Amino acid sequence: MTIDSTSLAQAPVAGPAPKPMLPKVGILRLPRSPKVIAGLALLAPFAVVAVIGRWMAPYSPNATDPQNWVQHVLVPGTGPGTGIPPNYYPLPLPPSAAHWLGTTVFAQDVLSQVLASTQATMFVGLLAAAIATVLSILFGVSAGYFGGNADEVLSLISNVFLAIPGLPLLIVLADYVPSAGSSILLVAFIIAVTAWAYSSRVLRAQTLSLRNRDFVEAARVTGEGRLRIIVAEILPNLVPIVAASFLFTTLYAIYAYVAISFLGLGGSPTSSPAGLWNWGEMLREGFANNAIRGGWWWWWAPPGLCVALLGTGLALVNFGIDEFINPRLRVAGLTRKAAKKAGITSHATLGMTPVVGNRPAVPSLAARSQNVGDPVLEIHGLSVDYGYGDEAVHAVVDCDLVLRRGKVLGLAGESGSGKSTLALAAIRLLRSPAVITGGQVLFHSKPIGGDGPRGTIDMLASDKEELRSVRWSEISVVLQSSMNALNPVITIGAQFDDLLRVHRPQLSRAARLERSGELLDMVGINADRLRSYPHELSGGMRQRAMIALALALEPQVMILDEPTTALDVVTQREILEELIGLRDRLGFAALFITHDLSLLVELADEIAVMYAGRLMERAPAASLFNAPRLPYTYGLIHCFPPMHGKRERMQGIPGSPPDLSALPQGCAFHSRCAWAMEQCRHDVPQLAPLNGSAREVACWLHRGDAKVPAELARPDPGVAEVHAR
Amino acid sequence: MNAETPVLEGRDLTKYFWVKQGRGPLARRVPVHAVDRVSVRLDAGKVTAVVGESGAGKTTVARLLAKIIKPDEGEVLLDGRPAPRGRPRSYAAQVQMVFQDPFASLNPVRRIRHHLVRPLEIHHMAGGNLDAAVAELLRRVALNPPENFTGKFPHELSGGQRQRVAIARALAVRPRVLMADEPVSMLDVSIRLGVLNLLAELRDEERLAILYVTHDIASARYLADTIVVMYAGQLVESAPSATLTDSPAHPYTQLLLSAAPDPDRLTPPHLEGRGAPPSLSAPPSGCRFHPRCPFVMDICKREVPPSIAVSPGHVAACWLHVNPTERGVSEDGVLATPSASMENEIKR
Repeated sequence: MTIDSTSLAQAPVAGPAPKPMLPKVGILRLPRSPKVIAGLALLAPFAVVAVIGRWMAPYSPNATDPQNWVQHVLVPGTGPGTGIPPNYYPLPLPPSAAHWLGTTVFAQDVLSQVLASTQATMFVGLLAAAIATVLSILFGVSAGYFGGNADEVLSLISNVFLAIPGLPLLIVLADYVPSAGSSILLVAFIIAVTAWAYSSRVLRAQTLSLRNRDFVEAARVTGEGRLRIIVAEILPNLVPIVAASFLFTTLYAIYAYVAISFLGLGGSPTSSPAGLWNWGEMLREGFANNAIRGGWWWWWAPPGLCVALLGTGLALVNFGIDEFINPRLRVAGLTRKAAKKAGITSHATLGMTPVVGNRPAVPSLAARSQNVGDPVLEIHGLSVDYGYGDEAVHAVVDCDLVLRRGKVLGLAGESGSGKSTLALAAIRLLRSPAVITGGQVLFHSKPIGGDGPRGTIDMLASDKEELRSVRWSEISVVLQSSMNALNPVITIGAQFDDLLRVHRPQLSRAARLERSGELLDMVGINADRLRSYPHELSGGMRQRAMIALALALEPQVMILDEPTTALDVVTQREILEELIGLRDRLGFAALFITHDLSLLVELADEIAVMYAGRLMERAPAASLFNAPRLPYTYGLIHCFPPMHGKRERMQGIPGSPPDLSALPQGCAFHSRCAWAMEQCRHDVPQLAPLNGSAREVACWLHRGDAKVPAELARPDPGVAEVHAR
Repeated sequence: MNAETPVLEGRDLTKYFWVKQGRGPLARRVPVHAVDRVSVRLDAGKVTAVVGESGAGKTTVARLLAKIIKPDEGEVLLDGRPAPRGRPRSYAAQVQMVFQDPFASLNPVRRIRHHLVRPLEIHHMAGGNLDAAVAELLRRVALNPPENFTGKFPHELSGGQRQRVAIARALAVRPRVLMADEPVSMLDVSIRLGVLNLLAELRDEERLAILYVTHDIASARYLADTIVVMYAGQLVESAPSATLTDSPAHPYTQLLLSAAPDPDRLTPPHLEGRGAPPSLSAPPSGCRFHPRCPFVMDICKREVPPSIAVSPGHVAACWLHVNPTERGVSEDGVLATPSASMENEIKR
């Protein structure tokens, strides 16, 4: 694996948590898809004809029209000179007022035949699909739900049917049941037998995964019976898949019916027992009687066109349902369209978060001669949207953040508060549909090792090459899911080797090996683990290996997005200790993102608290924890039960975390705030320094002459220290 | 511990999961010792917390007690009598479970009403007026007004509201025992306490016996009356919650406590017993913690430690608490009073 900007850019998917797509999209949304609309438009006339076609037909499909029976063409090899009495082809009539679609050589009305055929073909198709669907549900869902031996037997049966090629089986079956063509039910059943196995397998797989879902287990714990669980809990979740497979099977059944009829296995409508008029039969008669050579297009074109149109319609609706089941397909399409509308080319959205809108340049802190230590990453007024135009969700609004060299900046907030979005937008790693709508990100590069770029880089104005030179080698990222980003089929050592070979070409093979061992050693893994594959390491070790990879190029900044959240508490503590030790030794700055404020207090130099996409409070860690100024911070701190002292009832924060797409007016926290005032309901408070100290807070309680509650006015243990700096 | 009969008790529960090792026809099936001779008791009106790292067997214990899975050895006692075989409805009516992930434990295509109506119907709890019973349930879990929720789909609710619905579903059958498997770990920090407080109210007002499975020892201390610590499928220590967090007697409990985030800590913690839990398909001999234990002795490697009453109601499975003469070793007299040194370290 080579870790460079492009492969990395695929990884993070931050932003509002993906909602379960199924109910959210809603069955009502399905018809809005243009594919479904087109498909349904094609299918509608067929549906009408299938129901009332027989009664619309001007003639009986078998009836010959003696008035128009004109003997015209001599059959070759008959007539004068051959000794055989002359025999004539009747000449079919082209479309006329009496026969809208002309006649066949037997002077039968083509329109009437098409109408009758449509009815039979569609009924056979739908009936076969219905039978096949019932079979596939019976076999697939039972196999998936009951598992074990039942699954083995049922799966074996469906696999046998899957292995037999459908059309030959169909031909054999149809041929062996000579009266098949006369009965819609029999034809449909024969087709269904060859069609159910594929859907059965799909349904089995889906049921297997649903069976172990908690809601099924919960129903079992409630005392729900098996049948009820299958019918009332599992099947409703399979509806889109059943619908898709039903349409697919209908399509297959129609093609199959047309095919066997075309081969003459469907039984002729004029023989005994009489077969049914269908498109395949019409085509067969046409082809058998020189319809193509005779140029009698009105005879063969209508049934052929019907097959093609109905197939297209079904396929289109099926595509629509596919997109509905698999939201990735849909979102990709919608996003491309919306992005185009907003003037963003899809080329730019790959691996590089697009930047739109006007961004007033803010002079860097150094230029403003502020005494701020040694900033390495400056974020000014950064705003990020998900989506475009009116549907955009403002995930990050006007955020300022300064990361100082060698310091740990903690970014705390609940899910959906925009903390990951903010950090990943700063290095433009967010995937579409994220758009940076404003702000400035300055990276003051002073490479520690290697030959990285020097000087100040405007991240939002950089091109792909510039970003590439910075990402990973100067600013690296470790995500909560990073441990799953290791390539499973390559040893850990090879993955280190790849990275070093690309970015440190001057190193020899032996030097790379030595450096890899050294890196693993740094994060507390024995160097002989280089020969291990990722699956041979525990989650904690893989996360450590990712941290070692992130450190391999001696970055100046590490963005750590919940790096230990998925790990156990002992492992978490060990990794954090190692990280802090490495920070002291290597001197990188860290942006540590987590929901766990109690952890940050032990870890970070400075903490910023985010709520609903805005930075709400920023202060040195001890000050923030012991003397919070923001009601939300105060509430958050009191959400962590203490490990010592008396056990007392605590209240947490009332209400629910905000929905970014429906934020209240004014301060986003006001509905959950115990001290909310009238002003909080109307005006959004801005982050501003508090009484000239280094800490900042966005809260009306600390503005003007509002009375500050005692809880938010505890003496600040950090003030003296900050001033001393 | 009180002398009353516990509502629900698991005795020497043992569960193996069989996993394939190797590939193809040569694959062998080896047992994973997920839970090994674990005994827990749940009393009416008490919360018992099971604490441990992932893979320690916490959830398996809850599932064994809820009879979702069958133990390989040991038995489950309801009111002191062996629980009925299988999972009959009469058992479901007494023992209910709340799952970890409120996003997965509600059927995404069914409305909230369905989730509450089903248990009421199955167990004939509503007495004719289903809607009133559903509304009452929603009110009990503080989802007010109930009519705003009954018609909604799970995705229309927030995580905390969803978990409340899941609790309401468990309460519908008026159970006496509730298994809560990490009920707040998937929820946002700011709403966790609300759900924990709801469980506390159910314990106090309805005398529910609750098993609270968690990896967060601070929340266990907050909610539970008794904490049980599990390591690698075995029970290593159990005690009243404040006793356990203030003076842990087992080295593993001490490790867990020192690793837990604690903003009140003045100096960085010192971890004793680093490393990872052992493979459960080939667990270490003797005490399963011995490869990591800072106080390891010879006997720990050879023999499984007995459960020792350190103080009333406080039990630790550790050789350190067995009198040196009784454990038959002489060289390790230094560690005769290890708990004192540990307590000092914890009280720093």
